[in-house]
Amino acid sequence: MSFFGFDTSLPKDRGHNPKAPGFSLAPDPFAGLSSRTGGGEKEVLDFEDTYDGLGDQLDETGDAFNDDTFGEEPVGKDFDFSGQTSKISGTMQEEQAFFDARQPPPKMSPQKLAAKPVRSGYEGYKQADYIPSLEVNASLWGMPSKAKSPDLSASHRQQSSGPSVQIGRKMMSLEEVEAAMRSQSQKPAAVQQSAAQHLPPPSQPISQAFPQGLSLPGYPTFSAPSPQVDTTQQRASGGPQMLQRPTKASDQQVLPHNGAQGVQAQTPQILQRPSQSQAQPPTLTPGPQASSNRASPQSIQILQNPNRVPGPAAVQPPQVAEGVGGMAPTGPTHGRGLSGQVPIVTRPEQLLGLSEDERAAFLLEDARRAKRNHKIYLLSKDNGLMTPQDKNFITRIQLQQLVTATGNVIDEHGPEAALNEDFYYQVHAQIRGPPRQNPHQPLSQFAQTYLFQTGGRPGNANRRHPRGGENHVQRMEQQVQRAVEAAKLKPKNKQLVIEGSLGKISFSNAKTPKPLLNIKRPESRDLRSQSGTHVPTRSNDSVATRRQTLKDIERLYMTLMAMEDHERRMPPPPNEETPADLIQEHIEWRQKMQELNQSLWNDLKVMEPIDPNSPIGHPFMAILSLPKGKKVIPRVFRHIDDQQRITILTMICLYLDQLDVVRLAAPADPNDTTATLPPPAVRDSVELFSQAVMPSLFGYVNDAPLQIVVGLLGLLLDRVNTALILRTKVGLAILTMLVSRAELIKQATSAQSTQGINEREWQQWNALYNQLFDKAEPVLPYIFPPSTNHPSDADDVHVWQFLAAMAVGANEDQQRRLVVAVKDCVNDTVEQSKALPPEIAGRRLGNVNLFMRAIGLDVDLLQR
Amino acid sequence: MLFFSFFKTLVDHEVTVELKNDISIRGTLKSVDQFLNIKLDNINVVEEMKYPHLSSVKNVFIRGSVVRYVHLPSGAVDTALLEDATRREATQASARAKQG
Repeated sequence: MSFFGFDTSLPKDRGHNPKAPGFSLAPDPFAGLSSRTGGGEKEVLDFEDTYDGLGDQLDETGDAFNDDTFGEEPVGKDFDFSGQTSKISGTMQEEQAFFDARQPPPKMSPQKLAAKPVRSGYEGYKQADYIPSLEVNASLWGMPSKAKSPDLSASHRQQSSGPSVQIGRKMMSLEEVEAAMRSQSQKPAAVQQSAAQHLPPPSQPISQAFPQGLSLPGYPTFSAPSPQVDTTQQRASGGPQMLQRPTKASDQQVLPHNGAQGVQAQTPQILQRPSQSQAQPPTLTPGPQASSNRASPQSIQILQNPNRVPGPAAVQPPQVAEGVGGMAPTGPTHGRGLSGQVPIVTRPEQLLGLSEDERAAFLLEDARRAKRNHKIYLLSKDNGLMTPQDKNFITRIQLQQLVTATGNVIDEHGPEAALNEDFYYQVHAQIRGPPRQNPHQPLSQFAQTYLFQTGGRPGNANRRHPRGGENHVQRMEQQVQRAVEAAKLKPKNKQLVIEGSLGKISFSNAKTPKPLLNIKRPESRDLRSQSGTHVPTRSNDSVATRRQTLKDIERLYMTLMAMEDHERRMPPPPNEETPADLIQEHIEWRQKMQELNQSLWNDLKVMEPIDPNSPIGHPFMAILSLPKGKKVIPRVFRHIDDQQRITILTMICLYLDQLDVVRLAAPADPNDTTATLPPPAVRDSVELFSQAVMPSLFGYVNDAPLQIVVGLLGLLLDRVNTALILRTKVGLAILTMLVSRAELIKQATSAQSTQGINEREWQQWNALYNQLFDKAEPVLPYIFPPSTNHPSDADDVHVWQFLAAMAVGANEDQQRRLVVAVKDCVNDTVEQSKALPPEIAGRRLGNVNLFMRAIGLDVDLLQR
Repeated sequence: MLFFSFFKTLVDHEVTVELKNDISIRGTLKSVDQFLNIKLDNINVVEEMKYPHLSSVKNVFIRGSVVRYVHLPSGAVDTALLEDATRREATQASARAKQG
């Protein structure tokens, strides 16, 4: 339906020509074969056609003249086998061979056809073997249409069909067949040309409407080279073939011949070759369309084979060549890209005009650029292995690790929490010399440091890649911020409480690796346990008492630690210039300290009434009876005032015989004069008491006035069984402490002047001393620890110290009595030390000498 | 965190790590992390004859979960401080438990 009567339907509407497969069409190797089977194929394979037809000439029915032929004689038995029969057998063999020889051509045609569908437009560059396939294609395209067209010239038809009929009838020789095939293969274009010219109207648009460029990929036969021409000729030959179409009028006479030649034999072949390679170009050149058409093959070539671009490229403007040339002096560059090209285009001329220095500078710069390009090239080797997203992901993981490892708790509660979390390390580091970090430095600085570092590295890169780096840093910062935010949010849902469950599931993180189940402790149980503790105390259960005492001690420790923490937070001491708010802060701090002190004092239970049912007696003594309680005393003494200290000291003196280190170390029977060694556990606790508690007491007593010493000694002598405590190490030590302090005060006051001496106090003291001396004198032989019998490890220094202290304060009579009381011991020790190694002997004699010198003697006198 | 805190103070001290497979390794503690993974340097195995395959090993990283005991250098341990740290830890734990 068109105005001009053309078939206006587009090829796609019409459907694809099934015999001209496109690129994507599945190859149908037998497409061409099937189209031909109607004709030659059958002829070839039919035995009738191969039969020589000699038999047809026999007249089977005409037996009448047999006698004329063979004679009337009866047929003999002497058949001529070597005559006629051998001739026939020879013919049969020939036939067989001929048939065999004929078989290949029909077999080959499918193969050739098979090559056809895989048409890519490059077949023309392949070997000559493939060229037959081109012929087949041409026939596919042209032949059927020829066959269909009824108005095809009769002569042409006769020529094309006649011979084929003749071939069918008349046997072709092998040579003829081969020749025909060769001729067919060598003039596919000619066949096609004829086909194109004689296409009926319906199919004409296909060939004509197709622009040359378009038709080429689909029908590469246009540019298909003849086997004789090489690739350079091919371009020329390809062009002319297509150019024939406009000039077909001139070629008209030749073309019918060509069409006929397609089926006939050698002669067309000879005709064809000159017409293609030699005859045609001359005819084309004068044509007006020739020049315009000549360009088209070139462009077609480009379309067809992009690899051939070098030709056109060489014709391109000379700037490129100049640019490359300008680049060359700068040394080999790999990145001869956009960056290099821009300045270079104008340079070569400029370079000549430059001065030596400038040129050198320029070359230097160029070299540097080249070097940089080379480096970029080297670095870019691994480019693209990780996407930016990958890198960001890795970075985020690392940052989150950092933040969760060090950040969250500190962020929540500040450095104080860090101290809580890492108390041992922090304080240990403080005490034993900080190994790496300031103990009070908040840990979050770690995170800060690391985050800064990771942020800094892109900053360096930033210098090199100004634009891309900036963006990266920004994103990095956002990333860090997000990571920190996420880490801050995370602890809020650390636990998952499932409805109706007793416990809660807590998620572990790096900070708290495994608190998997966290059962909420009801507040009431604490109260219950507190109220319940009184029951076992009253029930005289020693275990329960001990437990209660331990709890008391723990509470004491907790208060103590709170005080120590509070002490660390002490604001700077105020003076006149201190602003009011700071003073206020200080006042508040002092108030808090006071409260804590009070609670500490309460926890010590010094002032609590004695529980008559408790086996230990006074609660404070109970606290002191446990190692923990002993150890807490030095720390407590730092935080309490003098009044509290004297109270503690008084309590200790008052209940000295209740103190475990005295009570357990003293002999069970006061009248038992045999020296007994306390059990090892007691000795350990005595040792601990001497090391932990005594220094604190001694430290206080060393500063105490005589009044207090007198008071304490009076209390001791009044309330405590002195004879008993004299036989314990702790008791002796306390007495020694008091007596020696009194002596020191006496010496100090007498050295200054007699004015400050309070006569009444000294009288009191002398009375007490005499009382003590009187009480001590009977037990003096027994105060030596029994280990004296084992001289090597004698632990009697405290005894000698006591004796020395007593001796200093004693009058002459008392000194004499002292010497009498301990004379045996002194002599024993001196005697023993003679048998001992010099080191131990010297130590022991030194101990004895403490006493001897106090009474104005020396061990050396005894040894002589 | 108590043990982490504690072991941090033992860095550069010689410790003996007894593993759950009965191998005892003595070496200088180089580092420890919150999982109590342990890095030891200059190690030697206590029963070297029994575990000859370790005689050429100079330093080890021990996963915290395979450690049975760590024998401490008593001189490097501040018992009183450790007690206090334990008290703090316990207080925090109970406070956390009460808090929910």
